Amino acid sequence: MAYRLGVDVGGTFTDLMLVHDESGDVFRIKTPSTPADPSEGVLSGVNRILKESGVDVGDISHIMHGTTVATNAVLEAKGARVGLITTKGFGQILHLARSQTPGPLAGWIIMIKPDPPAALEDTREADERMDAQGNVVDPVNEDQVREIVKDLIDSGVETLTVSLINSYANPAHERRIKEIIADMAPGFPITISSDVLPEFREYERTLTACMNSYVRPKVAGYVKNLESSLQELGVKGTVNILRSDAGLMSIETTQEKPVYGILSGPAGGVAGALAVSRRANFEDILTFDMGGTSTDVALCQHGQPTITRETELGHFRVKVPSVNVHSVGAGGGSIAHVPELTKALRVGPQSAGAEPGPACYGKGGTEPTVTDANVVVGHLPPQLIGGEMQLDVDAAKAAVQTIGDALDLDLHQAAQGILDIVNENMAGALRLVSVQRGYDPRDFALVAFGGAGPMHANAVAKLMGSFPVVIPPGPGLLCAEGDLVADFREEFARTFIRTVDQADVAEVVSILRELGHDAQAWLERENISPDSCSVDYSADMRYYRQGYEIPIAVEIDALEKEGLGLLTERFNEIHEQFYGYRMPAECEIVNLRAVGVGKVPHPKMPTADKVAEADPSGAVTEEHKIYFEGDWMPTKIYDRSKLQAGNRIPGPAIIAEYDSTTVVLSGFSAEIDQQLNILINPNQG
Amino acid sequence: MQGVKIAEIPDIEIDPITLDIIEGALKNARHEMDAVLFRTAMSPVIREQHDEFPMITDPKGRMVVGQFGSYISEMMDNFPEPVEPGDVILTNDPYKCGGAISHVNDWLVLMPIFFEDELVGWSSMFGHMMDMGGPLPGSLPTNAKTIFGEAMMIPPIKIFRKGEAVQDVINMILNNVRMPDMNRADLMGIVAGCKTAEKRVVELCTRFGKDTYLGACQALLDRTHRAMSALILQNIPEEPQSFEDWVDDDGRGHGPYKMKLTIWREGDHAFFDWSGTDPQAVGPINFYLNEEMFKMFIGVYLIMVFDPQILFNDGFYPLLHVIIPDGSLLHPKYPAALGCRTHALTRLFDVLGGTLARKSPEHTTAAGYGTSPYMLYSGWDGAGDFFYLMEISYGGIPGRPIGDGMDGHSWWPLFENIPTEYLESYYPVRVDGYTTIRDSGGAGLHRGGNGIEKRYVYLEPGEISVHDDRWLTYPWGILGGMPGRRSEKTLLKADGSKERLPSKCDEVQVEPGDMLVYRTAGGGGWKDPLDRPEERVAADVAKGLVSEEKAKNDYGVVIGDSDATAKLREAMRAERGDVKDFDLGPSLEDILAACESETGLKPPVRQEQLRWATMETPEEAMQRVRGQDSG
Repeated sequence: MAYRLGVDVGGTFTDLMLVHDESGDVFRIKTPSTPADPSEGVLSGVNRILKESGVDVGDISHIMHGTTVATNAVLEAKGARVGLITTKGFGQILHLARSQTPGPLAGWIIMIKPDPPAALEDTREADERMDAQGNVVDPVNEDQVREIVKDLIDSGVETLTVSLINSYANPAHERRIKEIIADMAPGFPITISSDVLPEFREYERTLTACMNSYVRPKVAGYVKNLESSLQELGVKGTVNILRSDAGLMSIETTQEKPVYGILSGPAGGVAGALAVSRRANFEDILTFDMGGTSTDVALCQHGQPTITRETELGHFRVKVPSVNVHSVGAGGGSIAHVPELTKALRVGPQSAGAEPGPACYGKGGTEPTVTDANVVVGHLPPQLIGGEMQLDVDAAKAAVQTIGDALDLDLHQAAQGILDIVNENMAGALRLVSVQRGYDPRDFALVAFGGAGPMHANAVAKLMGSFPVVIPPGPGLLCAEGDLVADFREEFARTFIRTVDQADVAEVVSILRELGHDAQAWLERENISPDSCSVDYSADMRYYRQGYEIPIAVEIDALEKEGLGLLTERFNEIHEQFYGYRMPAECEIVNLRAVGVGKVPHPKMPTADKVAEADPSGAVTEEHKIYFEGDWMPTKIYDRSKLQAGNRIPGPAIIAEYDSTTVVLSGFSAEIDQQLNILINPNQG
Repeated sequence: MQGVKIAEIPDIEIDPITLDIIEGALKNARHEMDAVLFRTAMSPVIREQHDEFPMITDPKGRMVVGQFGSYISEMMDNFPEPVEPGDVILTNDPYKCGGAISHVNDWLVLMPIFFEDELVGWSSMFGHMMDMGGPLPGSLPTNAKTIFGEAMMIPPIKIFRKGEAVQDVINMILNNVRMPDMNRADLMGIVAGCKTAEKRVVELCTRFGKDTYLGACQALLDRTHRAMSALILQNIPEEPQSFEDWVDDDGRGHGPYKMKLTIWREGDHAFFDWSGTDPQAVGPINFYLNEEMFKMFIGVYLIMVFDPQILFNDGFYPLLHVIIPDGSLLHPKYPAALGCRTHALTRLFDVLGGTLARKSPEHTTAAGYGTSPYMLYSGWDGAGDFFYLMEISYGGIPGRPIGDGMDGHSWWPLFENIPTEYLESYYPVRVDGYTTIRDSGGAGLHRGGNGIEKRYVYLEPGEISVHDDRWLTYPWGILGGMPGRRSEKTLLKADGSKERLPSKCDEVQVEPGDMLVYRTAGGGGWKDPLDRPEERVAADVAKGLVSEEKAKNDYGVVIGDSDATAKLREAMRAERGDVKDFDLGPSLEDILAACESETGLKPPVRQEQLRWATMETPEEAMQRVRGQDSG
């Protein structure tokens, strides 16, 4: 039992990686994804990797899996029919939402309001009330609750959510109603809000709990099915699912709280980028994952991703801990256009998608995309490595010419313009996760992946000053490695609203200890060896009555010794870093949290034994030209698979591989490190 | 402003790509200003409800991105000293900034942006302070007769000099407010937001060169100018179109107050004439409307209605001419009380929509809940600590060309409700229920949104205030759409008695256990309800948003019976005849006559002209504006 298997399902490919715990031997394959039932692709991949590696199926101890089943259910509006039980007087909680309409002024005229995850006709009000201190105002009227539960289940809802006012302060009523439901309909899937998000603000908690219910049947069905199919194959190890915060959770937890994995996909990307960069000795990175329709960026410091308490999915803000990934709706397939009234050049948000795709794919697309612009300026050579696809350069030119005509620019200026705009949008996204949160992007390396990331990374890094650019081998999909190195992770939190003056350090410490015990117990249940376990503590803090909290990490011993002033001091420091000032105001604790972490051993990835000469000419496949600042420059195309550690490649250059193309701009050079990453830096002097 | 080197705006061509990049960067900077403030402000009105407005201007003070009008040149012309890098200016006096802010609660912060010792622009932001001192918590007394009855006025004054806080001034201001910590936090958040914009503009000047940046600002203004010129030619008729509507009362028993707008076009210039609007009110419902601010409103409204892609900025202002008679409700003479201007501010959009609808009815919407309803509650709790809550409420969004009006949403952008759990954690109040009011939205092919009912149970003795409107006149429907239901406030005392509260009142005593049932108005419907698909009416009934009774009476739908529906609709059509362009409900005369029996409140009476504030005649106003705008 010494192998671990990482499996990540992407839109096109499913990536599998098998690692031996002690030797670090690695086997890796890619197999086509099967979107209708992703588990088919997974199973065929598992069969193939076992066959190719010769590893015995019984030797797999853990399977780590990133899945987008939950994400897709939300984005495609194909979740379950959710019944919702609220406190009396609050049945329209999701219908009213936060009453917000978009800007600017008069933005309501064109607002399209999304359907909430639980419909109004599937919502009932329970006769009960708790106050903000957790005292019972009106006890649960059990007869009335039985009536509405029966009514809802009879009406055909597939899952139930119970979300009551002030349940964060005292969950007793939610728990009682859950018992009643379980008693009436054993096995019926129930989510109570205080389990999923024991924090205040009823709309966000209710929405998150309903989202959990909404994706639950799909996710639960998928993971159960996957687990049993794997067991049929002979897998004896445990299956774990990657959470949105890049931790792992068990199949049981996934079935209960699937909303925690709602951004499993992007989290895997960030975890994978971190794994790569740590091996290349970069601890502070910006990740840049540019695909066909969207781009995800994130900031990681000291080898750890930044975690946010809230994430946006489609039209909804869901409050679950997630890797702080910022997504922009622009990628290689984004369409450039010039609106009639303003004559401005816009790129996206419309995308040519996979069908028809960019004009250069020759599948009938005629609108100019970012990929077409890359073809026109020569960043994307007409013949891709592997020779599977010949790009239609003329179609790309014709498409981009329409932009030139509208703006009175020549073809190449128009193409360069499209790229400049899209790169600027990318830099805007990176600025949001760095500069806007008080980080200097020049202190970070830029790890680029996704189909289009390596093509744009050099230009984007130039805007940001973030060097080196790191492009791992096989950048089209590096998520399976992220799944493999993810830690087991589960949060235990309690809302505890007190100003620091009012709070008693002994009480804070004792709550943290209790939460820590819960975390320890969970780690034991997950069978994680004690020497790989740790528990991290934090408190969400703000100035008294501010609306947003900042999580402040703290160690229990230090807290006991130095008192709550320690929290105040750390909070003030971080507030100043984020917003540029601190205040003489009182600080307030809002939530206390313990996070159980079970570390997994990291695989030893292949490194080059010896370092080759700097000269890369052995890898040159052809001479090409790219357009740069108004001129065509001779440019060599390199085959990445032939590049060796130690090679130095002067820009401009194009490095091609099976699933991606890297552009090195004039004024920059690339070198190949011992892990076979491409590192791009500006030329000295 | 002597002694300040103001950067020249160069007359250069900016390539379109650079222009779009600078546009994107400025838009990001503007959103960054909001983000910084939301995360640092303390007052729930800014933080949870987002009552704040940012902008970035060019060296001449013209807004390049943002959400309010240009006032800076007017204000700074009279500023007594030069500005220097690191200076921050604060004011809350509407009369000292040409109405850029319209009541003393709004704190307006202005910061010059210098690049290599030349002034390249301004960043500015204002936010609504929970309290500004004065006789009542909230500083919005509904019965003030002059601005002196509201709160302290701060003239434009430096609160930072060369980056150093001017503590004496700040201390003096904070000494006059009830919750100085909150004002301090909100003020610091606003300053931090402005500094963020400053940093981004300096970065752009460094990256592209100052001249390119300034040329781009000009080009962005020109771009919007061209786009708006096309919109005016397409959508504003040459023949004058008028519409009028009412603000119900002034909080002192006077009313209703007429607001009348006439619109026409001369070439690609559009005229918006408020002549015919009533003289200024005694009570604080006057809205000191900055002409430039109104141009912004018009611009944004036209853009939203006709082409939402256009970047909004000041570039088109020279194409618009706004005539507001001095001494009228919309341009009151100093020292008129201004605190409760939100009713006239909102009605202005109803009137603007109604006037434009005369020529392109397919594009415009019905009327909404028609104000920003407030509930204020203050007192001292059992421990002797002062508490004060102010909450903005929402209501029915009008029926729209794109679809139904939202139920219980905010017509002003980005405002949010305050979570019940937040209210109950920090204030001695319990929310008994928070829901939309069935049937309160006007029927229509696209129905108006329902108003909100929020039931507050007070847990400590204290005083409450109510600010609302549309309790008397109706949110109108359009093109066959029917009016929305009116607002009402009822206080259910713990002793079992019941009191109907006026829509504007202060210092209402409450005792523990008293419940205020706070109901806002619904939105008007859009187009003929008899054309609304039967299944959509049935869906609303299933959701509890429309009753079976209303489905039958207003939509002609007999739930579950298509044949009966068809017959009923046919009969209703025959009886009714053609639909009305506007359905304002009963005539004003009838409304006033039935007021007391329907609402339990005395009807307002028309106000006498104030001796100290005679109104400019329409001819004088027109002559003044034509003179200004041509020279």
